[in-house]
Formats: sequence, structure tokens, C-alpha cells
Amino acid sequence: MPKMIFVERDGTRREVDAPLGLSVLEVAHKHGVDIEGACEGSLACSTCHVIVDPAWYGRLAKATEDEEDMLDLAFGLQATSRLGCQIVMTPALDGLVVKLPAATRNAGK
Amino acid sequence: MIYLDNQATTPTDPRVLDAMLPWFARDFGNPHSAEHAMGRHAADAVEAARAEIAALIGADPRDIVLTSGATESNNLAIKGAARFAAAGPRRRIITLATEHKCVLESVRDLAAENFEPCILPVGRDGLLDLDRLKDALRTPTLLVSVMAVNNETGVRQNLAAIAGLVHEAGALLHSDIAQAAGKLKFDVENPRISLASISGHKIYGPKGIGALYVRRRPRVRLSPLFSGGGQERGLRPGTIPAPLAVGLGEACRIAAAEMGEDEARIAALRARFLERLGVPVVVNGAAGLPGCLSLRFPGARALDLIAACPTLCVSTGSACTSADIAPSHVLTAMGLSAADAAATLRVGIGRFTSPSDIDAAASLLAAAAHIPAEA
Repeated sequence: MPKMIFVERDGTRREVDAPLGLSVLEVAHKHGVDIEGACEGSLACSTCHVIVDPAWYGRLAKATEDEEDMLDLAFGLQATSRLGCQIVMTPALDGLVVKLPAATRNAGK
Repeated sequence: MIYLDNQATTPTDPRVLDAMLPWFARDFGNPHSAEHAMGRHAADAVEAARAEIAALIGADPRDIVLTSGATESNNLAIKGAARFAAAGPRRRIITLATEHKCVLESVRDLAAENFEPCILPVGRDGLLDLDRLKDALRTPTLLVSVMAVNNETGVRQNLAAIAGLVHEAGALLHSDIAQAAGKLKFDVENPRISLASISGHKIYGPKGIGALYVRRRPRVRLSPLFSGGGQERGLRPGTIPAPLAVGLGEACRIAAAEMGEDEARIAALRARFLERLGVPVVVNGAAGLPGCLSLRFPGARALDLIAACPTLCVSTGSACTSADIAPSHVLTAMGLSAADAAATLRVGIGRFTSPSDIDAAASLLAAAAHIPAEA
């Protein structure tokens, strides 16, 4: 099974199983990684914001304009920021590394 | 008083003032107070204004970030784009020697953050040599900043050709359009611009407000200059001054509707002024914005001319630099000697300039130019 690595806010690297077809958000929830995902992957918030390792960023399918609109609202946006709910595991992403941002903004709060 | 300094600032159009007034006292709600009717009322007015600003330059309202003016917009565009891309490989930031001080200083300040400022010269006509730009772009470049119309000479850069080269090189193109917006047709899609800065008080709107166009397709990302509450897509936190925003929107609406009429009248006034002046003068720079005349009076000193015409408001250079004794950086970049620069006046004709203003100004300056300069 493919693996992926979450770099937690304190720098800890957690390698977890990442089943094909699951999103990074779903993988995180499956393993209790602290990503909120308030809208449950419906592209209505930016609380599953992750910072993709620059070495992996170019290998992801490009973000849609809807995702970019939500990223506009993300706190601490960086050049390789994505929404975890929009990255779906494929064999090519085996070993993917993403970092959790320092904070998230829940527009509904 | 005869006011011919419309590049320094323009009078607020009475229609703009009328549109603004209710939003100071009667409708004073905070446009970010979404919980109550007064807040939403102000938010609606701000959004309507944003739509007018966007329409003036062919943009989508969501592309428009409200700021305090073109200086802030220029800082946010240049420093924001550089800082957002700081982790990337591109370090070079290109601009022209004739740009507004706030652009030049923003670019120079980024040297301290490990970026590489590259300031290109212009020709005697004030125009950028495209081959120079091509050469400069051989080094991977993050951003190029070129103003649409120069604030001292009215010279209009060839943005269409510049945009082609910049995009081919994969860089962002920022343009300070403070002097061009609302006066010349400007569309962010043609030529394609990444970032563009607008000022309220250069287009008959209020002072203290401006806008930055930030392209969303494809997305241009910036790091904000200020930390705060996430307003304006997080790019420019702080409460939006609703009265000023409404004023800028109304100024843009009027400019879009009346631009053609205004510019034809201003071009005729410019021709009339040059014809009535009757003393030998040289117009500095290539033809550009008709309302901005950089006029050299050979053998005279501009400061003497201004002193001899106390009822006439004209300037020696841009308002931000005219208090300096140093000659204008724009004119010297165009190859004028310090003496020629010191013999140059900027005459700015605007929407509210009348033919009688023009006639009176021409005769005052002609009389003053015949007074021999003090030895």
C-alpha cells in the first residue's frame, strides 16, 4: 500500500498508510492527524490547508480555480499550498510529503 | 488661482463628493459588520464600488484589492509578489529608471531580502528599449514593473510589447497605472497584466484610497504587507473606508463613461496652450498622455517661472520630489542635463481646466519666460 508523510506542527514526521483513491484529508482523518476539514471536502472552506513538500508539488494535478478561491482564504498561504481534500492518492504519489500549516481559518466561526 | 498640476492631484469631482457624503455620518456602518443591516448596507456599497473599479480596467470585481493609494498598491504588488516567491529560484526584479519613487524604492529595498534589483535605463524619448529588456530577462526574473504613463512626462510605455516579452520569460508584469487609468483605455487582458496599481486622487476621486488589481486566472499570489483580520482576501487587512471606496467607485464610473470626451477636450487644450505660449519651448519625451506636458524653457529656470506666476499652480516635477533641490530623476534618466531639467515645468491639464485657464496660464508663463534668469 502507498505511504505518505505528514510533517506535524512541531516538526514530527508521521508516515502512514495512504490507500489509493483516498484524499489527503481522508488519510489524515483515518490516522487521527490533526487536520480539520470543516466542510468535509466540499470546497467550501480552507481548513484542510496543507503545504506540499516542494519536491512533490509539481507532481500533483493542478489546483482548480475553485480550490484557488478557497486557498485565497487560507491562513499562512505558501507557494506550494493545497487543500488536502483535493489531493487524491495515486500510485505516483507513494511517499508524498505534506506539512501542516501553523494555523487554519474557519470562515464559519 | 489657475490649477495646472493635475498629475500631482486632481480635484474631487462634485459628483464623487455627493456620492461619498452619506457614508460618513448617516450610513456609517462598518462594511465588515456582516451581522447587522447597517454593516451589510455599507458592504453592498463597497462591493458596488469594487465592481466599478474593476469595470474601468476590464477586471473581475474579485481581482480588486482596496488599499490606501498607489504607493501602498505598488509596495504590496512588488514586495508581496517577491516575498511570496522567496523560496523559489527567481531573484531578479526589473524596473525602469523613470518609475515613481515608491516603485524604485520598493525594488531597491528587496536587495536586503536577497533579491536582485535590475533598473533599466530609458532613451531620450523616455521609452524603454525592448532589446534591453530582452537582455535583462535572460536572467530568470520574478517580476517586471513598468508604469503605463509617466507622472512627470506623460510618456506612455509600449506595454503590449513589454507584456509579450515578460510573459514569454515566465515573469510577472506589474504596472503602476495611476496616471493612465480613467484617462486612456486600459484593459488588464490586453495587454495581459498580472498586477496593476490605481490611485483615487489622480482620477477625480478622494485622497487616501487606491486599488491593486491582482490577477486570479492564472492566480497571482502575494504575501500581505500587514498582519490583521483577513479583509480583502487576506491581502490587505484593515477596515475598508467605505466613504472613500464609494468615492473611488464613482470616480471610476464617471471616468469610464466620459474618458473619450475628457481626453478629446484635454488634447485640444494642450494644443491651444502650446499655440498661445508664443515662446520657444521643447516638449520632453515621446508623445503620451495629452494632459501631461513636460516643457523645457531654454535659458529660463523653472523655479523662477513659478515664482513669477504666483497665481499659477504648476510644478517642476512630481509632487513627491519637487521639494528636493536635486534635478528630477525622470528627466536626468532621459539624458537631460541638470540645467535642462531645471528649465523644465510640468503642466498638467485636467477635466476641470477651462480654455480661459489655458489662455491666462500661457500669457503668464510667456511673460515670465521673457524675464531674464538671475545670474
